[in-house]
Amino acid sequence: MHISVTRDLKKSKSARAALYIFIVLLLVVIIAPFFIKDPGAFSKTIFSAPSIAHLLGTNDLGQDIFSRLIYGLRTSIFVSISAGLIATSLSVIVGVISGFTGGIVDEIIMRIIDAMLIIPSLVILILISAFIRPNLISLIILIALFRWQGGARIIRGQTIALKQKIHIYSARTFGAKKLYILIRHIIPDLGNIIMASFLQNARSAVFLEAGMAFIGISSLSSISLGTIMHNALEFYYLPVWLWWLLPSGIMLSLVLVSFTLLSNLIEKVVDPRLDDA
Amino acid sequence: MLKIKNFSASYGSKKVLRNLNLEIKKSEIIAIVGESGTGKTTLAMSIMGLLTEQFDNTEQSGSILFNGIDICSSTHEELRQIRWKKISMVFQNIDNILNPTISVDKQLNEILNGKKNNSKTNEMLEMVGFPPNRAGSYPHQLSMGEKQKILVAMAYISEPELVLLDEPTSSLDYDTKINLIRVIKKLSPGRTAVLLTHDLDTVKKLSEKVIVLYGGRILESGPTKKIFSNPRHPYTRGLVRSYPSMDRTKDLQGIRGKSEFIDKGCPFWPRCTQAINLCRIYMPPLKKYGDTMLACHRGGIIPLLNVENISKSYNSLEVLKSIYLSIYEGETVTLLGKSGSGKTTLAKIIMGLVKPDGGHIYLENNKIEKWDFGFYKKAQMIFQEVESAVSHRLNVINAVMEPMLIHRNADRRLIEEKAKKVLSEVELPTDNNFLKLYPHHLSGGELQRVVIARALILSPGLLIADEPTSSLDASIQAKIIKMLNRIQEERGLGMLFITHNLGVARKVSDRIIKLEDGIITEARLK
Repeated sequence: MHISVTRDLKKSKSARAALYIFIVLLLVVIIAPFFIKDPGAFSKTIFSAPSIAHLLGTNDLGQDIFSRLIYGLRTSIFVSISAGLIATSLSVIVGVISGFTGGIVDEIIMRIIDAMLIIPSLVILILISAFIRPNLISLIILIALFRWQGGARIIRGQTIALKQKIHIYSARTFGAKKLYILIRHIIPDLGNIIMASFLQNARSAVFLEAGMAFIGISSLSSISLGTIMHNALEFYYLPVWLWWLLPSGIMLSLVLVSFTLLSNLIEKVVDPRLDDA
Repeated sequence: MLKIKNFSASYGSKKVLRNLNLEIKKSEIIAIVGESGTGKTTLAMSIMGLLTEQFDNTEQSGSILFNGIDICSSTHEELRQIRWKKISMVFQNIDNILNPTISVDKQLNEILNGKKNNSKTNEMLEMVGFPPNRAGSYPHQLSMGEKQKILVAMAYISEPELVLLDEPTSSLDYDTKINLIRVIKKLSPGRTAVLLTHDLDTVKKLSEKVIVLYGGRILESGPTKKIFSNPRHPYTRGLVRSYPSMDRTKDLQGIRGKSEFIDKGCPFWPRCTQAINLCRIYMPPLKKYGDTMLACHRGGIIPLLNVENISKSYNSLEVLKSIYLSIYEGETVTLLGKSGSGKTTLAKIIMGLVKPDGGHIYLENNKIEKWDFGFYKKAQMIFQEVESAVSHRLNVINAVMEPMLIHRNADRRLIEEKAKKVLSEVELPTDNNFLKLYPHHLSGGELQRVVIARALILSPGLLIADEPTSSLDASIQAKIIKMLNRIQEERGLGMLFITHNLGVARKVSDRIIKLEDGIITEARLK
């Protein structure tokens, strides 16, 4: 078994496209804020159609929709990556400890995970958010706290499979300590699964963040694609949806599509049987 | 009858015999064995009192008492009374001993003080199986075997009390040798004989007691049977192993290095695979162990591994009931058994990978409580599944360096050098292209060698090899087995070789044991 993600990436057109989309989006949210208008600034023209001054027109408060869109995209990507990272780190730490230690520790951790998986996380998330009105950071932490369990289960299973591998036994017979085996053998071997789990978590974080903003329970201070759509829908009787609702919907889809296609590729890498080529 | 006390002899500055102490009783046949150049002939010459007379620049000290007379301090005349009358000798280099201008019967009569005694001469010749009607022949008319017979006849004709036989059979063919051994046996009752030889076959057939001589010192002595079946000194074992006997199936193994005369310490230490610092400093005294005597600081070949009363069950399945097993330094023990008989489980228990239900493991006589680096430096294992024994993310050089990197006990550059050395020891290339290859680039044989190199880089004393050749084709298997034998000779590895292949077992092992129904039995394969 010798896995090379880059080789598979080169072979798959859809994954390559997804990667390009993601890179472009990432560059946009990094570079664009230096050039665009302040998304919070008000102007006297409200509901204006796209023009040179306002590329996607203005909203009900006279704010530039284009800059809000870019900032919203930035929020989405920031939330996805950070919530993905936190959730995946939790998955890896808990999953690896559980799988590698085994015995009673494993038993206890797995029961906690089972319990957390049974709770309808979306409902709880909405309830908590409605109460505490989280800011961006607490939202990220909240999302991460409800997303790591699935990944942890998978990583635990893989860890148990990996620790029976002969090269792990060999490392043990060279006198390697547990930490060495974890850091040098098990975690690198889990690389693709960790990657897949990260992409899954990132994708659902984008979706959750936008969704919660859309139903209006996220922080009012942050600009989110969900908020933009929520606001746009309030004026459904005006013909503004074309430059207000649609672009935000497209942006959200692009982020989701790129994460989905990339995670499809990783799944194929991890399980070559999915590869029908 | 013959007592040698603190006897030393030297040629110039080269000390050949050192503080030799030896006692030979009447009617005993003892053998003194050792490689060429260990001082056997010098000892025989000294007993004959010929050493200082025949060679210049020789010195001797101590005493050789023959029936109370000290040969070392005897005068020429006194020695003349003893030589050939009381002590006779069969010399080693047959061709130079007989006078080519005198017929053999005359040479025999010469020993009887020139008195013509045809009946005695003929009787003797008949005894050694030489036709008396050819007694008038000259040495050049005789074959090698016939000359040897004449030499034996010359040694025994004067009915001496002590006969020294210096390599009496080394240049003879098998039939002639057997004949001669029979003759010597027939002539021996009532006489003492000292056989000096490197021919272990003759020793086994003739002598009751063996003394192993190396570097002018006695390393081991005891009853012949015991010395051959269970040698305790690494040198004795080396001798037995390198001698091609009919019932030995394992490939011949030599003794590493070459014999030298060492001034300090045990003479064998440069070649010994279990030498410790003490061995370089002073010579171990000859100590009594039961009916054998042994000179070794480590008490002879050390037991590397002892497994005591190990048991293991998986749920209700009792795999190992009560396992007892020991492996000595430099020895290959093959563990035979069917698939599923618990061979690998036992190996994993020894390596601390599986916890046994009961019993103990001892390494070099220390009970193992914790399997830590100290243990793994001395014991290593080669796993059965070669293909997955090396992580797919490690290339050759990193894979071989891994065991040492785990402990960061040396500079990376030094570790890399050591890794290359081990790789060449397992007969793999060490160029950069090869070092950068990944396991899936390698053939089965190459990967197996990489795995063996990984196990050897920590210089373990014990190697557990679990079916190391079962996935290889016969020609590569042969190479790997030869290599393992060579490495064993070099390093004195003790090996537990696990296999289900009887042919392989016969070629690699000193001992074969069988695991059946959860217990180990000694297996004899013929």
